Amino acid sequence: MSTPAASTRSVDRTSNTVVGDTWVTFKRWNLKAVRNPFVLVVSLVQPIIFLVLFTEVFGNVAGQAVSRGIPGISYETYLVPAIAIQVALAAAVTSGVGLVNDIENGMFEKVLVSPMNRTAVFVGKTAAEVFRIAIQIAIILGLGVLLGAEIATGVVGALGIIAVGILFSLWFVAFSNTLAILTRDQESTIIGANLLQFPLLFLSSAFLPLEALPDWIQTFARLNPVTYGVDAARSLMLDQDVMTVVEVSWFEGTLNGVAPGLLVLGGLAVVLGGVAVYLLARASSSDVR
Amino acid sequence: MSQEHSGERDGQAPGSVDARSSRPAAIDVDGLELTYGDGTEAVQGVDMTVPEGEFFGFLGPNGAGKTTTIKVFATLLSPTAGSVTVNGFDVTADPRKIRESIGYMAQETNIDPELTASENIRFACEAYGVPRGTRADRVDELLDLVDLVDVASKRAEEFSGGMKKRLDAATALVHQPPLVFLDEPTTGLDPKARNRLWEYFQRINEEGTTIFLTTQYLEEADQLCDRLAVILGGEIVADGSPADLKRQVGGEVLDVDLEDGDDARQRAASIAEGFDAFSDATVNVTDEGISVTAETARQHGTDLLVALRDAGLTVTGFNIRAPTLDDVFLAITGEELAERAPDQGVEQ
Repeated sequence: MSTPAASTRSVDRTSNTVVGDTWVTFKRWNLKAVRNPFVLVVSLVQPIIFLVLFTEVFGNVAGQAVSRGIPGISYETYLVPAIAIQVALAAAVTSGVGLVNDIENGMFEKVLVSPMNRTAVFVGKTAAEVFRIAIQIAIILGLGVLLGAEIATGVVGALGIIAVGILFSLWFVAFSNTLAILTRDQESTIIGANLLQFPLLFLSSAFLPLEALPDWIQTFARLNPVTYGVDAARSLMLDQDVMTVVEVSWFEGTLNGVAPGLLVLGGLAVVLGGVAVYLLARASSSDVR
Repeated sequence: MSQEHSGERDGQAPGSVDARSSRPAAIDVDGLELTYGDGTEAVQGVDMTVPEGEFFGFLGPNGAGKTTTIKVFATLLSPTAGSVTVNGFDVTADPRKIRESIGYMAQETNIDPELTASENIRFACEAYGVPRGTRADRVDELLDLVDLVDVASKRAEEFSGGMKKRLDAATALVHQPPLVFLDEPTTGLDPKARNRLWEYFQRINEEGTTIFLTTQYLEEADQLCDRLAVILGGEIVADGSPADLKRQVGGEVLDVDLEDGDDARQRAASIAEGFDAFSDATVNVTDEGISVTAETARQHGTDLLVALRDAGLTVTGFNIRAPTLDDVFLAITGEELAERAPDQGVEQ
């Protein structure tokens, strides 16, 4: 019959912890991701098309260019690390879209008014996105191996490539969130982030060795985070230092190709992450004198 | 379903409001000002105290500053000036303590459309630290309260506006907070759902929960609230129990229905204004005719009707009644609050 009583007023409350709040947020965003399998699939389709078509269509031509620089590897092997980075790029776009949705449906405000730790909320959401990116890169690596690519460093290297992909995704996650806060509009966020995706990929060492590309592209590629991500991932793939834009000799061999990439991407993530966090903090407290 | 809970609160002894004010304050505001970045002075010097356990109604036309004020209390906006204490905590110094101890239902519906009804409530339970062991029961209890048991595992995006609103209400109550802010909670609900929420708000209020309600529906405020404040242009212009406010309007209201058009109504209004037997009458032109509020409306109402007939106007109906909150609102703000509680359901 009638409604259940709020029987007692003295309800015990477990206090919020950073870890707990991160976990609660992580769970919510994963649940939302699972609810939208379409998005999960679609964001994988394009990289997979690239992987299959590029190796089939350009394999012979590109393979020759590749083997002039790095003898003895197939184009599949050369391309898979780049596709892994592409996956990270494509998935990171959706981070800002998620934020816009949250602002639009009021969950952003609901969380602000709750006792949840705000940093934990931000970390939890990003963790869910990163988790998804890790799974998607793993799928790409598996598919690449099926198509004939070889991961010279084995399982450890594969995990390393996933880690590079995650680190790489962070600056673009921050970037798409910045777009989201500034535009507060889904389409603008998607278009803004997607517009950059292709120039970033093609004007880098992703699909062909830099030596095979025109000078202006080489110049751009030196400033392009994608080059650092791809070269670091590729060094792990091939188990040799193939970082094209910076030369370091801090270690023996492969790590010299990975470390500078990680440093650059880490620095970029901190800077852009700082911008996004600053804007997010400003958005959380409305414009009041 | 009838609204049987009316009357009881209006009938309270005048002293009871004072008795309540000896309780600790749930909300204590001194000189609150809020100016937005674009220069809009939304709130200009609000003082108020809401004692624990009170059912407090905050009324005002759109744009008067209701939502801005409530957002300051809920720690979503920082005051430009003044001090605000909620549940004993300062809004600027201790916002997190406040967030733990209040429930807040925003004017817009805030739910995650991709999650199901139970998942939304469950998320709120987790966000507010409802202990793991009691979460499942709490979710069921609240689903039942807002009549969403049948659609518990449906995604909220499939819900009608009213269902979403009910779900939102449930999520604001998960941690049984001692103070609940409701910013126009029943807008867009059908009468059945609205009554059900009213009953629940009333029940948790009787159990000791302080409720701070803004509403456009004056009957809602009249039936539910112990005390009301009216905000206009960022300032509080009246406050008191519904009965007090109605007394302030003074006397009784004589509604006169007239035939003919606008012209006749204007003429009737000027006759009523110049009518000697009503010393301090307030006359308003209504859709049907005129409405006269005066101390002696009951004694001399018939005289006015005769005067109107003598002036050649056709009276088609009349009614003498006690002032309602609509009259209070009209007297204070000079405008009618646009919306009334709809008799027809908006949904279902």
